[in-house]
Amino acid sequence: MTALLGSRPDVPTDVRPGAASAKRRPRRRFTLERAAPLVLVFPAIAILLVFRVYPLALGVNFSFTGDQELNGVFIGLDNYVTLFTDVRFHAAARNVIVVLLFVPLEVLVAGILATFIFLKVPGHRFYRSVYFLPVVLSPIIIGAIFNIVLAANGPLNDVNKALGLPVIDWLGQSNSALPSVLGVHIWATFGMALVIFLAGFSTVDQELLDAARIDGASLGQTIWYVVIPELSQTIQFVFVTTTIGMLTGIFGLLYTMTAGGPGAASYLPEFLIWKLNGEAKPALASAASVVLLLLILVIGLLQIRVLRRATKEV
Amino acid sequence: MKRLISSAALGLAAALTLTACGGASTGTTGGSGGGEGDSADKLVVWNWGASDDAAAAFQEDVVKNFNETHPDVEVEIVSQPFDQYYTLLGSAIEAGTGPDVALFNGGTQLKSRADSLIPVTDELSDIKGDLAGWPAFEADGETYSAPMFLQGFPIYFNKAIFTAAGLDPENPPKTWEELGAACDAIESGTEVDCFALGNKEGLGIEFFLSGLGSGIFTAEEYDAWIDGERDWTSEHARQALTMWAESSANGWYNDGANSTAMFNDSFDLFSGGKAAMVIGLSSGIAHWKQFDEFLGDDLGFMMPVTTNEGTTLALPIEGGIGYGVLNEDKKDMAVDWIKATVERDAQADYALAGGQIVSNTTVELDTDITSAQEIIAELPGSKPLLHTALSGDTLDLLHRLGQQLLVGEVTVDDAVAQLQASEE
Repeated sequence: MTALLGSRPDVPTDVRPGAASAKRRPRRRFTLERAAPLVLVFPAIAILLVFRVYPLALGVNFSFTGDQELNGVFIGLDNYVTLFTDVRFHAAARNVIVVLLFVPLEVLVAGILATFIFLKVPGHRFYRSVYFLPVVLSPIIIGAIFNIVLAANGPLNDVNKALGLPVIDWLGQSNSALPSVLGVHIWATFGMALVIFLAGFSTVDQELLDAARIDGASLGQTIWYVVIPELSQTIQFVFVTTTIGMLTGIFGLLYTMTAGGPGAASYLPEFLIWKLNGEAKPALASAASVVLLLLILVIGLLQIRVLRRATKEV
Repeated sequence: MKRLISSAALGLAAALTLTACGGASTGTTGGSGGGEGDSADKLVVWNWGASDDAAAAFQEDVVKNFNETHPDVEVEIVSQPFDQYYTLLGSAIEAGTGPDVALFNGGTQLKSRADSLIPVTDELSDIKGDLAGWPAFEADGETYSAPMFLQGFPIYFNKAIFTAAGLDPENPPKTWEELGAACDAIESGTEVDCFALGNKEGLGIEFFLSGLGSGIFTAEEYDAWIDGERDWTSEHARQALTMWAESSANGWYNDGANSTAMFNDSFDLFSGGKAAMVIGLSSGIAHWKQFDEFLGDDLGFMMPVTTNEGTTLALPIEGGIGYGVLNEDKKDMAVDWIKATVERDAQADYALAGGQIVSNTTVELDTDITSAQEIIAELPGSKPLLHTALSGDTLDLLHRLGQQLLVGEVTVDDAVAQLQASEE
């Protein structure tokens, strides 16, 4: 904005009468008008710098130091080397991929249910509240509830037994522990994604829908060619926030439901960070945090790129 | 669109900033705790709280004892949740805001943090003879605390279930084969499980290893293990892991042991008569007094069983918890605090009220609960716990492998190889 103003010939600049000023280009002087935007954004930037960027830099710096007897000593990349040879880190990294596979599921569930509510199916107001309800519950409470539901002799297995299906110790076996936790996480958080979708629906241009109808588009075509491109940014937003939520907001459930087990089957980076810190290795935990940060940045940016194409955003 | 990407990236970075800075602090050195209690007339004490009235009364007794020698010192007790105790303590020490004294579990938990603690070897030498259980609080020839209670892994059993299964409750199994036969009889003759097991935290295998170890390892192997000479590839170490895996394969445990919390779901199974046996504790929780409240005269205690010839059965028990000194400046005060915690009268009261096997050997436990007297009778020949001699890393690995062995997701050979690699 300042650049724009400065280059406009019709805006009078505060030039003092004198020989020198006529020769050189008029310097942009620091006027109140120009300073105003900076002053206005300063608090936000300052808060970001002091409470976000500075601690981040400290954390990254800390990850290059040692633990215990090497506390405060610069050890270069040793923490990262240790991390990359730790089986729990390998498990956590593998599990990130599993988590990513569950993200589209949550978006799909939220998207489909939001569409039904948008189309005003009977009882849509009731469903809107019901779907949102789990979001306000604490993960610890949800974890405790599902500990009982998923127990080896719990109600879900009773149903399985009645239907003649095999009884599974959902949280006690490697192949089912993490998917069970992720399933519960989706149940607990899809309400938020649903609300964002509903907000997005309200921005869909009604004229486009009408035009599509006049052109004789089917429901499928309307959704594919009109609704999804119109919702492109909403979908991207939901994808990215859901991914972040899955990678950084699942600790409470993991802690109460599996504690990372069996073995390291349900370790996620976030849980590993907590675990390492508890083992009196805070610097190693910081290194894991930096890796998690980079991981999420890369995944988030990739997601946006892919989704921009997939949703045909113009 | 660029702006969306960059703002999303910024948002991501911001969201993760707090994660990334977890525990970040530089410039403090180990052992410089005491940031909270800098004034000379105050002692800051961390522990994980009093679990019941008896524990609260004991804590009051200790403060009273301490104030007899330091009448002007205010004791500030900070109770932290046990789940996160060591995480919180570690972060506080890192940040230089640790307490003056803090409660520790003996063995691995204390030894792995010995470099943050002030040695008090000479200061405690005068009470050395009165207490049992010192090794769990010693590292590299220095003593870091005095044991308050003895923690061990006695095997408890339910006499009523033994009778129902056609077993003799006065003559519990003495060998691994007899134990197997007893479990078969219980599984086929009753509706209950042979052992109650909660392995959600992975603790089951450490109870199994320490609880039955003296019947598996020879006395020489046992002592070498405690001294740090451990060979997981040895015949008997491998055998211990095999026994653990097979006991599960043979259906000794309750369903879903890996998803059952040990504290206290599995102990509730035993108290509630849904399992015939359990490897429990001797102090604090899941002990003779707690089980006695539910089972009364049906509660029995048995020694580990003989698995191999040439072994000497011993009750696995050692110093359980004790206070460590973190603030060099308040060492004298902290030593008096430690001495107050092992004072005879306070310990005698708490032993009875709270169900503790206390470290002070001059205390006589005045109870008619048979299993308590039987445990005390075995103290002279007792041995330290096998698992607390392991490093923190190896113990964590053992927990994870224990879960995987239980459901057959890893072979004993794999487990042996990983554990041996971890020791090296």
